[in-house]
Amino acid sequence: MKTRLPEHGPLETPRFWRTLEERIETPEAQQAAHDEFLPGAIPPSFNMGPDYNDVHGLPPQSGVSRRDFLGLVSAAAALAATVACDRKGQGTVVPYTKRPVEVIPGVANYYASAHQEGRRVYPVLVKTREGRPIHLTGNDEHPGVKGKTSPRTMADVLRLYDPDRLRAPKASGRVVSWAEAEGHLHAALTGAKAAGKPVLLISGAVASPSRKALLADLKTALPTLEHLAYEPAAGDAVEVAALASFGQAVDLQPRLAKAKVILSLGADFLNGEDPEALGAWGAKRRLKSAQESINRLWVLEGPLTLTGTNADERVPVSPSRLGAMAFALAKELAGKGVALPAGTDLSGVSTGAPAEIPQATWASLVKDLKAAGRQAVVLCGAQMPAEVHQAAHLLNAMLGSEAVAAIPAEPLATVKELETAVQGMAAGRFAAVLFWDVNPAYTFPQAAAWKDAVAKVPVRAWIGQVEDETAAQCQLLLPENHWLESWGDFSTPSAAVLQQPTIGTLYDTRQGEDVLLDVLKALGAAVPDGYHAYLQARWKKELPFGTSFEQALHDGLVKGEAKASAPSFKGASVAAAAKRAAASRAEGLELVLFPGFATHDGRHANNSWLQETPDPISKMTWDNPVAVSVQDAKALGIEEGDLVNLSLDGITLKLPAVIQPGQAQGVLALALGYGRTTGGVAKGMGVNAFPLVGLEPASTHVRSGARLAKAGGKKTLSRTQSHHRMEGRDLVRSLTMDEFAHDPQGHHHRPELVTLYEEQRFPDHKWGMVIDLAACVGCSACMVACQSENNVATVGPEQVARGREMHWIRIDRYYEGELENPKVVHQPMLCQHCDNAPCENVCPVNATNHSAEGLNQMAYNRCVGTRYCANNCPYKVRRFNFLEYTAFKTEPETLVYNPEVTVRPRGIMEKCSFCVQRINDGKIRAKGEGRAILDGEITTACMAGCPSDAIVFGDLKDPKSKVSQLVAATRAYRVLEELGVKPAITYLADLKNPALEGGHHEA
Amino acid sequence: MGLCMHLFDRAFRFVLPAGGVAVLLTVLAVGWFTQPDRFAKGYAPEQPIPFSHELHAGTLRMQCQYCHSGVDKSRVAGIPSVDLCMGCHKVTRTDRPAIQKLTQMANSGQPLLWQRVHTLPDHVYFDHRPHVNAGITCQSCHGEVQTMKVLTREMGMRMGNCLACHRDPHAALPAGSKITRGAENCAACHR
Repeated sequence: MKTRLPEHGPLETPRFWRTLEERIETPEAQQAAHDEFLPGAIPPSFNMGPDYNDVHGLPPQSGVSRRDFLGLVSAAAALAATVACDRKGQGTVVPYTKRPVEVIPGVANYYASAHQEGRRVYPVLVKTREGRPIHLTGNDEHPGVKGKTSPRTMADVLRLYDPDRLRAPKASGRVVSWAEAEGHLHAALTGAKAAGKPVLLISGAVASPSRKALLADLKTALPTLEHLAYEPAAGDAVEVAALASFGQAVDLQPRLAKAKVILSLGADFLNGEDPEALGAWGAKRRLKSAQESINRLWVLEGPLTLTGTNADERVPVSPSRLGAMAFALAKELAGKGVALPAGTDLSGVSTGAPAEIPQATWASLVKDLKAAGRQAVVLCGAQMPAEVHQAAHLLNAMLGSEAVAAIPAEPLATVKELETAVQGMAAGRFAAVLFWDVNPAYTFPQAAAWKDAVAKVPVRAWIGQVEDETAAQCQLLLPENHWLESWGDFSTPSAAVLQQPTIGTLYDTRQGEDVLLDVLKALGAAVPDGYHAYLQARWKKELPFGTSFEQALHDGLVKGEAKASAPSFKGASVAAAAKRAAASRAEGLELVLFPGFATHDGRHANNSWLQETPDPISKMTWDNPVAVSVQDAKALGIEEGDLVNLSLDGITLKLPAVIQPGQAQGVLALALGYGRTTGGVAKGMGVNAFPLVGLEPASTHVRSGARLAKAGGKKTLSRTQSHHRMEGRDLVRSLTMDEFAHDPQGHHHRPELVTLYEEQRFPDHKWGMVIDLAACVGCSACMVACQSENNVATVGPEQVARGREMHWIRIDRYYEGELENPKVVHQPMLCQHCDNAPCENVCPVNATNHSAEGLNQMAYNRCVGTRYCANNCPYKVRRFNFLEYTAFKTEPETLVYNPEVTVRPRGIMEKCSFCVQRINDGKIRAKGEGRAILDGEITTACMAGCPSDAIVFGDLKDPKSKVSQLVAATRAYRVLEELGVKPAITYLADLKNPALEGGHHEA
Repeated sequence: MGLCMHLFDRAFRFVLPAGGVAVLLTVLAVGWFTQPDRFAKGYAPEQPIPFSHELHAGTLRMQCQYCHSGVDKSRVAGIPSVDLCMGCHKVTRTDRPAIQKLTQMANSGQPLLWQRVHTLPDHVYFDHRPHVNAGITCQSCHGEVQTMKVLTREMGMRMGNCLACHRDPHAALPAGSKITRGAENCAACHR
């Protein structure tokens, strides 16, 4: 029955009413009757805005009404039914028109190339599939890196497919052709040349001989060119100190293979940046027996670094006191008969142990260094003040250390020179400025002054990949190739390294060198056509006899570069430095600014793989909170996640605080490279700490006089590990050398396991893994390698805060001992592939089960997402796709996927597969060649990526395999063995070699 | 009372049989729609070039691997690139319109969009190498290709097809092969 309503005129007054408004029929009441859900019925906090606030742990509301939702569901069901009933085509299959000879579809090709970050050069092997680079490892033929590389380098393949990349040149905001864009640039530069006006070029560090030659050519053609090579995170003190100590710029590279005793003065050489150092470290730590020699690492530092967590003896001290301590050490050693370099004057240095260091520790350190002699090395952190560097140079010269190589390098511009350039720009000195792969608008400490100065340069050009803060201040934007699309060469101490493109340019981009070559041409110089030809012409002359350029490209390197003579130490520089060191005192809190583990100086901030890789110490993702020491936090009443105001020199940053055990009292630590204002991923993540960088080159990154105050409020920290304790279980084991020699299993006993289940049988193979905690430094290279190999999704900070990160392998970091200076052990944790896997027998659909080769396998298409398995996993390594992280992705983002691994959708459980795609491939290859699988032939991505070779994977059925032998080692144990789940992963207990008690005394 | 009897009567005589028939029809219809090989078997889409396997593989007795050269090196057998066709067809049968079309594609670089005939369900990573290297003939899965003028699908290529052979591979393997079973674990194909 329907009630007919009058078409015109007012409705009849209702007979029953609930409210007065309804009775008197206000317009609001009529509207309210119409809208079931009033505005405001859904709390505004559900908008997922910056102030997004979780309510009852509910997922965020999408704003779709119930009616719309049901409508969509029925439409989707109808559509699905229609599609299912269609006799659909199977799609097309498109062959090459002209197949490149080296490409077999479905088979990966590998090319040698190289990546540069600051002064560091990473020779890499690029895995490509059907012409797409998808995975990076180190070049195994390079004698230094031996097949290893850094986490940031591995993740940089993602930057190639960054959708934010600038795809065509722009002039004044308008997309233009290259001819037009370069026309503007050439006109400006020829004009400047004619007028004799200076032109400023700012680039990153120059580590390439051909790029250096090209810049020299440019300087010849354009004499008014002023070039600054600026690395904002490198630490200007390194330059200042090298100039004082050696009279030239040097790159000090540790040679840890030769070191018995290492003293780190705030040096973080184990942070994953230096695969060569990590390789040597691992080799010295993977001990089979206590009779083998081990090195000893002494660390004096303010913030807790990865190197500090691996120390045998660590003393937290304020960085401003490090210089005085190091000079006192030099004086002590000199007093014990170690010869000082000529001209060294230590008369101003006080004798005896500094107040911060216990007497016994000091005596032991002095004894250790003296005993090790040439096999001792002192390394200084790049951020430390110049006098600390100079003290380290002195100590190495005194000891005659073999374990550090001083390699002459191209000088870097300091912040002082940049400041001079800013004054020049402001005064209208420059006719044009060209930024090449640098972002000073973001990294220069005084951003406002920078902006005003740059605006006074008539022509501003920018060469780069993703439009950044600097690009926003330029008229002429020239999009640059990614390094995987470019030619190049670099010099490393053991070999010259070549870089070749592994993919054609994705967009209308060119490499920076090509742009400069065109500039040279426009200026009338005779140059080869394109940088490839330029490079080839140079190398044809330089290659050793019998080596072709093609062969060198194939290998990616030319071994045996001539050694430059090591610069000699100038003793006369010491007295002034010692005086400065003695006077150095921290007023207020001391702030240490260090390059972000993930972002470095901000250049990697747009890389979601890196943003989501937790900081190895604080386990923070997507953010840079200020780290406060336990003592200071207590004094200031600061709790984890509290918002604080950090003030220094009139600049105040509001940011969250974390409490960092092991950090020296009075020290604050803050990562650079966050708080970008451009880039789809980078924008708004963390705060920009560059404004706090000092303008005094001798100490840009260690600043005293900082103040910290609670700002009120809290921020939810996107942390992957907030629980730091083991609850009395021996998840990680750490032995001193004494314990290793006498009682490696300690009070731990192998539990007697009783089981109701039948013993699993493995007829052919039983895959297993051994992880040596003594070699693992926690650098997280394995995490990035796994992410790249297995198409692991990133989820963003909100989801990480809910514990929904997707990493198949994580590094658990455990503290032990007192809060002020704890011992730390890092433990890579991944699916243990248990023989009696608890996850398997709770799966209602048998989506996870055991293979006959000992793999705990996961069939995604069978999984219905009950998450019972994750609940029942004692290791918490199963990852559930709570939301859709992948389906919306389009090219170019999808191009980075490994085609051998399923891209998982929403509602699916996933976890480490032991890289089953690599196992299958290895088995099939061996079978095809009619042979058994060789030990070490099949590697998991984490094993291949681990720079210290802490991870060994192999067949436990093969008694000769490396993994089988390691399983029987005396340090071996299994995590939560008492549960009887029989994990396939064996850990080897961590080793510490303390000097005072329990160490290896002959070291 | 009478009304009640009438309702029961109607239920027994009409509603229940009709319901039963409806359920049966649904089951049959769903079963028929979802039967493994319904869409697969006999699928022979029209191709942009009317390539005849009967002529090339049958009459001319060309080896399968001459064109599908990836089959023992790669997971996928591969579709030959246009320039491989042109190896012969630069001089052979250049009067045919299809060959002229092919030539034009080879010269212009325009992609040749073959209609895919054989596909596997999602989430399967089939690898040709171990099968070919074990001596299993192409025909075991792809049918008697050398007799097909138009390439036609002969097998559903469902998991049942795979497992049937993996559990008892004798029929597909050459005489004297030592292989008795194929892999049956999930991760052999799903990952």
